[in-house]
Amino acid sequence: MSDLNLVKTKINYGVVWVLAKRELLSFWRSKSRVISSIAQAILFLFVFGAFPLSNIVMNEIIVSTRAFIASGISAMVILFTGIFGGMAVFRDKMFGFMKELMVAPVSRRTLMLGRTIGIALQTMIQVVIIIILGVIIGYYGYEDPFLVFRIMIIVPVAFLASLGVVGIGLTVSTRLNDMQSFGLIQTFIVMPMMWLSGAIAPLPPLILMFNPFSYCVDLFRFVLIGVSNFPPLLDLTVMIVFGAIFIIIGARSFNKMEVS
Amino acid sequence: MTENENIIEVKNMTKIYEEGNTLAVDDISFSIRKGEVLALLGPNGAGKTTTISILATLLNGTKGKCLVNGYDVKKEPDKVRKSIGIVFQEPSLDTDMKAKENLELHAILYGMPKKYRRTKIEEVLKLVDLDDRAEVYVKNYSGGMKRRLEIARGLIHEPKVLFLDEPTLGLDPQTRRKIWDKIKELNQGEMKMTILITTHYMDEADELANRICIMDHGKIIAMDTSKNLKKKLSGDVIDITFEATEERLKFPEMIKKIKEVPGVKNISFSSVSTQQDMMPPLQLPKGMANIDPAMIQARIRDIISNPKKLITAWKNIPMTVGMFLNAPLDMKKRIANMFDEKLLEEVPDAIKQVIIKIRKGEHEEEDNGFEPTISISCESGGQQLPLIIEKINNEGFSIKNVSMHQPTLEDVFLHYVGNQIREETSSQAKNVKEMIQMRQLRK
Repeated sequence: MSDLNLVKTKINYGVVWVLAKRELLSFWRSKSRVISSIAQAILFLFVFGAFPLSNIVMNEIIVSTRAFIASGISAMVILFTGIFGGMAVFRDKMFGFMKELMVAPVSRRTLMLGRTIGIALQTMIQVVIIIILGVIIGYYGYEDPFLVFRIMIIVPVAFLASLGVVGIGLTVSTRLNDMQSFGLIQTFIVMPMMWLSGAIAPLPPLILMFNPFSYCVDLFRFVLIGVSNFPPLLDLTVMIVFGAIFIIIGARSFNKMEVS
Repeated sequence: MTENENIIEVKNMTKIYEEGNTLAVDDISFSIRKGEVLALLGPNGAGKTTTISILATLLNGTKGKCLVNGYDVKKEPDKVRKSIGIVFQEPSLDTDMKAKENLELHAILYGMPKKYRRTKIEEVLKLVDLDDRAEVYVKNYSGGMKRRLEIARGLIHEPKVLFLDEPTLGLDPQTRRKIWDKIKELNQGEMKMTILITTHYMDEADELANRICIMDHGKIIAMDTSKNLKKKLSGDVIDITFEATEERLKFPEMIKKIKEVPGVKNISFSSVSTQQDMMPPLQLPKGMANIDPAMIQARIRDIISNPKKLITAWKNIPMTVGMFLNAPLDMKKRIANMFDEKLLEEVPDAIKQVIIKIRKGEHEEEDNGFEPTISISCESGGQQLPLIIEKINNEGFSIKNVSMHQPTLEDVFLHYVGNQIREETSSQAKNVKEMIQMRQLRK
């Protein structure tokens, strides 16, 4: 191989796919991660689903509490796995593997994209699992003739939503320098975004409109049970805009990251 | 490529870390020939890793031009990256993956075609004797195995140059030997690989390297073959240890005398520094952190150079009396010499007695417990040793121990670098700050 073909600073999609695969593989291999993420969602499903069966009124449509919560929790999974998946960059930084990636003749954009897509795919799979679990437990109506169709639509939506969330995770983890800050992220980013998103309890739109993540929850609910606070098109737009912003910020900080 | 012979060309490489205000690499130039093993030696913080990082395109140099395999590290980093293999100081494997998967990922990152990949991975695994452990998770590997795997990984894409940043750090002797053998095999076998290695171990450099480059404070202070470097210290090395009570101020005088002995080449002196500044490092009490210690030192320097100010200080601030009594002997002497009889009258009693004692020569013993050692390199130890000892006896020094040996690479290293432990001092940082400011002014 005397004449190595040049790799420009462009994106190398082959490498993106390989890196994404690495992400999925490492998720699959660490069974504790798989189990804990699903167990957490199940816990939420049962705890909040155990509340009295009064119905919730959204936009003058009556929804069952359980369907409301099940759809909210499936969106919540995106927030948790997305942000903590993005933080996996931090693990690589700590354990030195980042250097190996940084010195390879591929652009940083490739590295970042590979990672982002990998985590987004992983998140997507988890969301689908949670939804199916919800169906099995009986939180969604079996009588809904469009259920399979709804789940099929939720797959790309989940992927899109997790891209932006991973962006947040990347931004945070490239700037983080010690393990102790993990708790801080949990308290100041993940928790407020979760509780103020309307995923678990109905909140007035006045609160929801300031949390970008609530649009994601809203869109999920629209797709899964057909009700929403905001017009779904607005949800989609906000989600894409915020997603793009976070991805760009994440890419920037990833580019600036110094590993030495 | 202009120079076909040299695979690495470095001209005026400089790196300033503006954050830490340190000059890590200071305008160095060197080149490495094809097929050569060059060892970078130097104390901690000498700039070895920074040099490698710049050559590996991980860091941007502040100034200068570096060519690796004919490619400029700034203009064509991708080509440079494909030309080099690197083993970092810290482990950089993905421990959650199998060994083979680590290598596969590397091969893909370096754009190797699939067919070629498999055979190459098997080849490098065999080279480092890990072919039977390919399917094991890296987290189950021992330190030496991980190191070997990293070397294998660095070789997959057939680099022209291999960078090894302290490859045997923290490994047991057997594993070190094994890794040395592999490195030799790479260099002397079919591949004829050019290798740049940084290390702290003299024996490692001696064993592996064709040429040795000694760095200190970001500069190259010597670069030659191990043999030639030792030749510069040819003959023998005589180490003479003195009693701890010897007076340091007299050493330079004695060293000068020893240098007069024919055949003596070089003398290095260790223990506490004698020259320059007599100021002991000043430890500020807590809560005074905002005052620049340098400013206070300057103020104290001003006071101790003026007897009248000193007397005022002693009379008004009790702490200063203690400071004088605890000061090193050299400083006490200097102060004692400043007072004439008339001024001495005004000095507080406690200090007066000490000064009178010092003048009479019956001072208390130096208490810092360091044994001053000089190491003398000379042409023929057997001939010069009696003469040297005679000189020392004439000067009235008492010798504690004498030893003589052939110069080792360690002697060479210590000869150039000095054998005091390094702690990057604030004064150096200040110099860099000034340098940066000067540079900005010039713009």
